[in-house]
Amino acid sequence: MKRYVIALFCLFLLVMQGMAMGWLPSSLVYSNVLITPHWVLVFIFLMAIFYDRDNTYVAVWFGLVFGLLTDVVYTGVLGVYMVSYALVAYIIHGMNRWLHSTFFGASVLTIVGVALADTSLYIIYSFVQVTDMTWANYAVLRLLPTLAANMIFFIILYPLVRARLARWSEELTNS
Amino acid sequence: MPSLFRRKRLMVVLIGFIVLVALIGYSIRDRDALSTPEKFLQDTVGWMQTIFQKPVSFVDTTVENVQDMFAVYEQNKVLKARLSEYKGVIEGNQRLKSENQELRETLDKSDALSDYSPIQATVIARSSDRWFKQMTINKGEEQGVEKDMAVMTSDGLIGKVKSAGAFHSTVQLLSGFDRSNKISSWIVREDQDEAFGLIEGYDDESGRLLLEGIKLDEVVEKGDTVISSGLGGVFPSDLRIGTVEEVVNDQFGLTKTAYVEPFADLFDINHVIVVDRAAESIDNAPVTEGEE
Repeated sequence: MKRYVIALFCLFLLVMQGMAMGWLPSSLVYSNVLITPHWVLVFIFLMAIFYDRDNTYVAVWFGLVFGLLTDVVYTGVLGVYMVSYALVAYIIHGMNRWLHSTFFGASVLTIVGVALADTSLYIIYSFVQVTDMTWANYAVLRLLPTLAANMIFFIILYPLVRARLARWSEELTNS
Repeated sequence: MPSLFRRKRLMVVLIGFIVLVALIGYSIRDRDALSTPEKFLQDTVGWMQTIFQKPVSFVDTTVENVQDMFAVYEQNKVLKARLSEYKGVIEGNQRLKSENQELRETLDKSDALSDYSPIQATVIARSSDRWFKQMTINKGEEQGVEKDMAVMTSDGLIGKVKSAGAFHSTVQLLSGFDRSNKISSWIVREDQDEAFGLIEGYDDESGRLLLEGIKLDEVVEKGDTVISSGLGGVFPSDLRIGTVEEVVNDQFGLTKTAYVEPFADLFDINHVIVVDRAAESIDNAPVTEGEE
């Protein structure tokens, strides 16, 4: 049952992602710096770290579904977010075994994950010529600001959902 | 059984790659309409966004109204002064309109390229990925919105409909235009005929539109106004686009390129008008010639 609650929350984040672009001050959102919110992805990482057991892959499936939703609703080029999110969720799920599930460990994983996901978006989009940024421009104008913005979101989200996800995770093991 | 796991993983990666290429190939080509599942998802998310957007826009407008109230007195004085000017303009305008109507009737030409019916819409979200210059509006096919219709604010043109769902549609902004969406336009100059040109793209660095293909002997000056010509077959004519900022010769020296500053603010957009051209557009026009 808890899975549906989590899915609803992901949907909420997805909806908010697009609306936030309209609400945040335009001097910040529409400057030369291309900040991209990956809120759903950050939440999926928290799921991979605190919710999933070693042998369950709920976070990867969520990455697949909500990546596809992002593609449909916000970009129109299908498959790019879907594959990137699912792949990175899988990598984070695997890396979780090497790090302790603390605030520090989780933030390291999130930084690595968001960087990997956004870079993979950049690589695929430059292949299909959605963007023609050079790597250096991309790193300064998009990658770093995106990492910073999503870490701010991570710091806000972490205390809100950590305990809840861990509690639901126990139900996952018992069932 | 580590080898089995590894093989399974390899299979998943390969299948994933194939699916990715297939999906991108399917969605990036020039499609006439969205597939049904896409429309469904777009509308579902659109409705959720509408729900969340209502309270926020209420607070937003309240704050704006309060700010406006402080400026009311000053504005009123200025407006009163201008009102007397307008009376003369209105009369002149009405006279010209009826004259135009009569002349058209004598010519037996009823609908002008400039005629259109407006569809009012509200912006409910923008793409979270800034590489995609697009936004979602709350009107779709049910309200008469179709692919490729022009979208404008009260200031001027801002883009065109990229894809229409049942109740929501996606608008591509001028800043996302490339060579595949040209706008045929006229440069309006004082004491001269209009000069023709095509809007062929957007310069990201300076934030200006590129108006290309202007003849070398045309004199275009800074400050001239650019409007749509309606000859491209989709947009009506006389939509305001922007003002010329700078004119340069193109790289081969055969034509001139003008940099055009759009009238409308492409970032802060709340309410838009979707323009439904009254004259038949090219795609729908009945083909009579050569198909006997």
